[in-house]
Amino acid sequence: MAVIYNEGKRASGRKAAGNALYDMAGKYDNLWVVVADTGGALGAYKKEYKGRFLDVGIAEQAALGAAAGLALEGNIPFVFGMLPFLALRSAEQLRTAICYQNLPVRIIGTGGGLVGPTGSTHLSMEDIAVAKSMVNLTVIAISDPNMVKPILEKSMAHPGPIFIRLGYGADDPVLYDPGSVDYMIGKGLTIHEGNDVTIFTYGAVTFEALEAAETLKNEGVGVRVIDMFTLKPLDKELIVKAVKETGKIVVLEDHLMSCGLANSIADVCVESGVYPRAFKRLGIPEVYAGFGAGKELRKKYGYDTAATLAAVKEML
Amino acid sequence: MADKQTIDSLKEKAYEMRKMLVELCCDYTGNIHIGGDLSMTEMLIALYHYAMNVDPKDIKMPTRDRFILSKGHGAAGMYIAMALRGFFDYDTIFKTYGKLDSAFGMHPCKVQLPGVESSSGSLGQGLAIAVGMAASARQKGQKHRVYCLMGDGETCEGEVWEAALSTSSFGLGNLVGIVDRNKLMMTNTTEDNIVMEPYADKWRAFGWDVVEFDGNDMEQVVAALDNVPDTGSSKPVVLLSHTVKGKGVSFMENTIGWHAGSLNTEQAEKALLDIEESYGRGNA
Repeated sequence: MAVIYNEGKRASGRKAAGNALYDMAGKYDNLWVVVADTGGALGAYKKEYKGRFLDVGIAEQAALGAAAGLALEGNIPFVFGMLPFLALRSAEQLRTAICYQNLPVRIIGTGGGLVGPTGSTHLSMEDIAVAKSMVNLTVIAISDPNMVKPILEKSMAHPGPIFIRLGYGADDPVLYDPGSVDYMIGKGLTIHEGNDVTIFTYGAVTFEALEAAETLKNEGVGVRVIDMFTLKPLDKELIVKAVKETGKIVVLEDHLMSCGLANSIADVCVESGVYPRAFKRLGIPEVYAGFGAGKELRKKYGYDTAATLAAVKEML
Repeated sequence: MADKQTIDSLKEKAYEMRKMLVELCCDYTGNIHIGGDLSMTEMLIALYHYAMNVDPKDIKMPTRDRFILSKGHGAAGMYIAMALRGFFDYDTIFKTYGKLDSAFGMHPCKVQLPGVESSSGSLGQGLAIAVGMAASARQKGQKHRVYCLMGDGETCEGEVWEAALSTSSFGLGNLVGIVDRNKLMMTNTTEDNIVMEPYADKWRAFGWDVVEFDGNDMEQVVAALDNVPDTGSSKPVVLLSHTVKGKGVSFMENTIGWHAGSLNTEQAEKALLDIEESYGRGNA
């Protein structure tokens, strides 16, 4: 795989999802899209595939319920909406209508993390905690807009439900050379080599870890960065290997740091009997964040590039 | 239009189902939701033995009518109605209900019991699932119906009305809503708990046709099911089936305490006598 973050390219994950669903709908006649007054990037899909599109209005519970009904009839429905509402308001429908029946529904949501000025109502910081608690649910976070299409395509062959987290979704950094990565669901991606410290990360802050790793490389520090884009099931082997080889662990996530990836990694370490010499979590503290741009909020709450750099240096 | 012989045969099935419910309620060490099972007995029998195109030997038959028991606590009633139709063996239900590794639990699970169209138990979720199933049928040009049986109490849940709004917006006349309007919730009457009336008007306001009838009168139930609109219709219909919770058992009828329960031997004997009497079979 080729990391091309330094080229400064950007793209829209939302548009990538809209385009991917449009392309895939031509190939799979059982593909449906369900929205709750969302899906601005689905214009072409709606026009061409009106018969396989349901907009239930601003009603996430009915959206997930209807998706379950579609899946029970042999369809593969993609619910596209905003993460905080999909993960919380319709959490029970996700659990009972979808996961309990192990139905192939795909939930795609935007707003994963403190990615914009919308305020806590529209920013999701609990979705990974909710999603990883659901039996049968595969949980994925998109770190690069170009990941969306291959992940959605791969999802068609996956039997159970999948939860897919997008960041802001509109204008995000491109990290990987398109076509150079084979996204294996359940396997983390080592995107920067190093043997002094490992940073585990995912989603919209992955680029911050890459920036920190590049800066430290110039200072002679080897930082391994792992894009843990599948949050469930976790790539335990990769975690154990990184702890054994680098000993020191930073977990950077745009999610409540009390209940996201960091504690899952800690669980793996303890259960595997592999103990890091240092362990630091960076992410959203116990707070409902105020307003501001994503970059400003990450700085304010201590999980931007500078904070990541500082955390690594403290461990050395 | 069903002839007298058909109606009589359905009544006989409902009689058998009531006796089986009492037997199950007596034997099982926990509870079954017998009050609501008894209120919807005629409807379940009429659906599985008359109105619905189903084949117990081919549970995945593409042309089959779909049934969702949104009031999932009525699972025992559904199991028995289906067993009488040949889907399951009643003795297996009787011997294993609620026990370890049984497919028959207090709320139905499709994964454990594939003959069930959708798992349920958490109230208010069935109608939205039915919307997805009905929309799929429309898109595929399939002619079957999707029936969704709700309890009146569960229609307090907001998701029911989200789904009701979308059903009429999508023109899903292939979806038949049924409300077992027994007017009792777990802890109180519906009207003393939360005012539901004017109930039919609420459905009409959401774009549904409403048909009201005595849901414990087999002839009226069959007539209502006979007269649901063509599956091509763009207006969904809801059947408001006015029933009596605990129907057929004197000490359960309209009694708040019998949402769920189990019977001791003495109560079960009395319940069976009541049922026999209500069908004109008793010696009394």
